[in-house]
Amino acid sequence: MDVTKKKILNGYHVIFLIQNIIVGMGLLSMNNSLSPLGYSQWWIPLLFGLVANLTLIPMIWLGLQFKDDDLYTIHEKLLGKWIGKSLNFILLIYAIVLFAAVIEGYLELIQISILPERTITGHLILFILITVFIVKGGIKSLARFCMLTFFLTGWMVYFLRWGFEDGEIRHLLPLFNFTGKELWDATKGGFNSIIGYELLMIFFPYIRKPEKAFKHASMGIWFSVFFYFVVGIVAVMYFTEWQLEHLQFPVLKLFQAVDLSFVERIDKVGVTLWVFLILTTAGAYLWMAKKGVDSLRNKNSQYHIYSVAILTYIVINLPISQTVRKTFYEKTFFFSYGFILWPILLCLVHLVRRRKTR
Amino acid sequence: MKIWKRARQAVENSKEKPSPPSHQKQLAPISLDALKKDLTDIDDAVFKEYQTKDGLVTVIYLSSLIEPVLLHKMIIFPLVNDKGSVMNTFDAIDGSNKQKLLMAIVNGDTVIFHHNKQQYLQAHTFSPPERAITSSENEATVLGPQDSFTESLTVNLSLIKRRIHQTGLKSKDYTIGQETNTKISIMYIEHLVNDENLKRLQERIQQIDFTGYVDLVIPKQLLEDNPYSPFPQYGATSRPDAAVNSLLDGRIIVAMENSQTVMICPSSFLEMFNSPEDFYNRWTTASLLRILRFMGFFITIMLTPTYISALSYHPGILPFELLIMIMESRSRVPFPPVIEVLFIELIIEILKEAGSRMPTKIGQTIGIVGGIVIGTASVQAGLVSNTLIVLVAVSALLSFLMPNYLMSNASRFVRYIFILAAGLFGLLGQMLAFAWLMNHLLNLTSLGTPYLTPVIPRSWSDLFDSVVRFPLTFVQKRTGMSRAKREKKPTK
Repeated sequence: MDVTKKKILNGYHVIFLIQNIIVGMGLLSMNNSLSPLGYSQWWIPLLFGLVANLTLIPMIWLGLQFKDDDLYTIHEKLLGKWIGKSLNFILLIYAIVLFAAVIEGYLELIQISILPERTITGHLILFILITVFIVKGGIKSLARFCMLTFFLTGWMVYFLRWGFEDGEIRHLLPLFNFTGKELWDATKGGFNSIIGYELLMIFFPYIRKPEKAFKHASMGIWFSVFFYFVVGIVAVMYFTEWQLEHLQFPVLKLFQAVDLSFVERIDKVGVTLWVFLILTTAGAYLWMAKKGVDSLRNKNSQYHIYSVAILTYIVINLPISQTVRKTFYEKTFFFSYGFILWPILLCLVHLVRRRKTR
Repeated sequence: MKIWKRARQAVENSKEKPSPPSHQKQLAPISLDALKKDLTDIDDAVFKEYQTKDGLVTVIYLSSLIEPVLLHKMIIFPLVNDKGSVMNTFDAIDGSNKQKLLMAIVNGDTVIFHHNKQQYLQAHTFSPPERAITSSENEATVLGPQDSFTESLTVNLSLIKRRIHQTGLKSKDYTIGQETNTKISIMYIEHLVNDENLKRLQERIQQIDFTGYVDLVIPKQLLEDNPYSPFPQYGATSRPDAAVNSLLDGRIIVAMENSQTVMICPSSFLEMFNSPEDFYNRWTTASLLRILRFMGFFITIMLTPTYISALSYHPGILPFELLIMIMESRSRVPFPPVIEVLFIELIIEILKEAGSRMPTKIGQTIGIVGGIVIGTASVQAGLVSNTLIVLVAVSALLSFLMPNYLMSNASRFVRYIFILAAGLFGLLGQMLAFAWLMNHLLNLTSLGTPYLTPVIPRSWSDLFDSVVRFPLTFVQKRTGMSRAKREKKPTK
């Protein structure tokens, strides 16, 4: 009965989808990428949340104008077939690269901390397979998985207790101890941790109550911002400025501060449980890529998921040096900054066209 | 698929045929010899001629399906002594329809042929030897009613109907299987059941195609939404009280001739951990036991895999003293932990299988051989560590906590996936396997309703009767799973 209907996402689905797509690798390394700000970084997630919420408005407005179309179709409708299709092609590449970047970032972390003596091939294949399984059920399957992920991983916030106890509360002040350039640097590196809500434009036509989507999506954003904010506070309290600058994954170090009688290194459990958060993020981008192929080929097919997955596997295994790859992924994240502003332009085009037709 | 379609076509054609002659003209009845020809080589088929006042009659029946005393009392004695108009008490049967006549005989009815009138009559005498109603062996409880279903459909229906006295309780019969012609019965309460569910189930029952419907488990597998899944998607019970509870919840019960269990559909993952006894116990005890069973499922699939990944990949996660203790007990074991675990898990499976296949008298010795000889000796020989023996024994016990036997089998199967995943990638493999499991469960449906219902909320009131069983005053609404027409239970 779910298959035939198109409007399948309830309000809570939207909340958890947005929240879990946002939270991913970004949270693990956020404090490191915000380190140009020093101790004043802890309230920056709130700023990011505000920016995200503001950029959400044009997305929702655009979605409400085209209630049954996703971004791919909107492109074709607004900008003509050829420009639209080529833009969609860029979006497809964006989705594939982000899918690859998310997976590779996580598997690299796994290689550093969990399985140091292994190549990534084995778990890469397993990882992609499971992502394909999740995405095969469509966006609702992904949304359900997101809900489950929230409850399976959300309780890990409790692990911050020990970091909070050992921390130094005086680190939180002063609030504005940075220059404009430092803020710019930190935003450039750190804003990618909140990227992910732009996918709303792709799954917008599936939402059952589009009028309330803004409320739900904002709730999703602020749930994630809450996690970021709490982690930010505890990290700033626990670490010195030097550590913030040089630890690549401060959250793992916070997990190591946990002192339980029956488990010694809870960070290993934490990192492996993190796989759920990565699966949701990666799954969302895989789904976006699948939709991209669908729109390019003008037909719906499950085989598009497999082809995208195989392509991603090849992309990750391309013989390119690590540094080139890193910069490429970084550039893609900068591209996503443009992507969240892109709907503003589309809104303008829509307004102009509407006036013309009148 | 083609074969199936052709078969359906054939069945439909045969259904259409008999209807036209009835309202045209009365065809001549089949001769007795034709019937005899069809019943040759059936040695328990009886053709007996009796002289009555009205003339010669022939009584035809299968002696294995009918109790001789009943036959004599009901038919032969009145016929021969001719107490009034005995002939009028029997039902007339269309004598020109040979198929119908033969089916009546095969079903255990007695067919009487009146030679003078050239007329066939039918009497319902089906009375095969039946097992008495006993207490349930597979779902025994301390509290509550002790009766359980038997292999007879009529007995099973009566066991349910004597608990719900109203005309709203419907039981619809279908015949499935071209070879076996098995009777299957759908029961539901009309004003509660979800029509969409009912329609879907009826359509599926008419569509399934298989030869040997020897137990309800077979159509159950054919009726499931996802036949490839290791998890049972419909509930099964041999207790009438559990069946009645489901009926009152707005669900559908399917019972079949020759089957000792009935099927409850739809059914959710969490309900596989519920026992009917939960409602007879105080809510505190019931909740405790339910939490135990539910946690038991996850512990049984996670315990030995965690042992593997902790020892082979991340010894750091264990506290120092525990690690020393395990390492000491493993000091003589020459295998990697995966091999060790697989070895002992397989031995447990073999023990279980051997124990259940053997005659009960020998089965007792198997426990001694398995528990003491293999267990102690393999530790002393240095094949496995004794820590692992404890873990494997605990996880084997936990897998039998679930009241649903198919569910406990599923948990054992899933455990092997986790063991292999842990052996390959440690904790990461375990978590990936867990993600697979969760995704699989999230995508499963039972009769179109999500299998993991309270997690995918349909109604929040479900949480009062899920892992924790709240006091009965809280359980006021029907579960979201059944999507009943009336959600709230009546107060008076």
